[in-house]
Amino acid sequence: MTAVFHPGDRVRVIRTHPPGHRRTPYYIRGKVGEIERVCGAHPNPEELAYGFDGLPAKVLYRVRFRQKEVWESYAGPDSDTVDVDIYEHWLRPA
Amino acid sequence: MAADERGHDHDHDHDHDHEHPHDHDRTFQPDIEDAPPGRYELMTYAIRELLVEKGHLTGEEIRKAQEKIDSWEPSQGARIVARAWTDPEFKKRLLEDGNDAMAEYGIEPGGAKMTVVENTDKVQNVIVCTLCSCYPRAVLGLPPDWYRSKNYRSRVVIEPREVLKEFGTEVPDDMAVRVHDSLADLRYLVLPRRPEGTEGWSEEQLARIVTRDTMVGVANPDVDRAGS
Amino acid sequence: MPSKNDPGRGYHDIGGLDAGAIPMETTDMKPWEKLSTAISNALGRGGRGIFVTDESRRAREQMGDPPYSDLEYFERATESMKIVLLEKGLFTAEELESRMKEIEQRMAEVRK
Repeated sequence: MTAVFHPGDRVRVIRTHPPGHRRTPYYIRGKVGEIERVCGAHPNPEELAYGFDGLPAKVLYRVRFRQKEVWESYAGPDSDTVDVDIYEHWLRPA
Repeated sequence: MAADERGHDHDHDHDHDHEHPHDHDRTFQPDIEDAPPGRYELMTYAIRELLVEKGHLTGEEIRKAQEKIDSWEPSQGARIVARAWTDPEFKKRLLEDGNDAMAEYGIEPGGAKMTVVENTDKVQNVIVCTLCSCYPRAVLGLPPDWYRSKNYRSRVVIEPREVLKEFGTEVPDDMAVRVHDSLADLRYLVLPRRPEGTEGWSEEQLARIVTRDTMVGVANPDVDRAGS
Repeated sequence: MPSKNDPGRGYHDIGGLDAGAIPMETTDMKPWEKLSTAISNALGRGGRGIFVTDESRRAREQMGDPPYSDLEYFERATESMKIVLLEKGLFTAEELESRMKEIEQRMAEVRK
């Protein structure tokens, strides 16, 4: 498994709204966060959803986002974050 | 239903005896004696009968699957937390590889990767699955109604502190609230902070104050509470 | 707060949308709900491997809204499972409907 990103890398979730089964939530698309850790490679759920084997496996990351950078009017402290498990093909370097 | 936890005990005896049409699997107990069954209750019985008749499942496999569901309870998670509080070596293993550490307790999360996140004096973790309601069933049982509700799924990512207040939990501003949206194969369990006043307690006593809500992160253990 | 009418947002994809107080009442799982869950688990990855969780999620996301919001949790789960099993040809919709009618009659007899 070759991971393109590493812990600490700043990444942007691509802003696209494709049809079909996706596990990247609407609220995080287009946002910038930081790789918190690499979570191994897994068969792609977007393909598994239709009966395919989902291979080759895609690298999964835990990406940490500052809440203030996700929501325009986030009321809590700067240190509040949301961690989302995102697949590599949804990420670009920021 | 999303089979988020898959068990390992699949016995391969595809029995070849054709189930007699009037056998035990065709009988049922209406959930409420006098109320007619709803559409989905009927659908469930019909699916069961058709699958068994056509050889896609046996009654035994279904019974075993029901037993497995019964074995999933928050007391499992509580036991693991109590152990982590009293055994630093176990806690280290638990944080590094949840599946490996939990195997000691007979937990079989199937395809899920159990990921334990630790509450500290700086961080309060909270778990959600905004897209459906993925949940660490193998250690917490089935998720409560509120966890599955649209209101929780919508609001906890955008206003976690307000949601926590509804559970009676206030997080000071010098602590970070870290929400985990568990959308892939990782299943999160919160390791709550061991409260003051529990020095010298046995694992059993400690487990009693580790409620399900403290392992989802919407509450913190309370020494005065008997625990659920 | 973001509006519900974002183009490209699935009806299940609700993180960040406006919503009310957290409903705290808990309900116990009914026996038929446990049975439905058990059947799904027995057919899944840890059992017969006839379908995977991802397929039932996708089925839930494509059933439409309605009925998505109108169904309760286990009703939705059963509906999703049905969709996947019909796709895989394990039984037909006609067989299912006819069996449901038959069971309904059987249960009515028992209640008399």
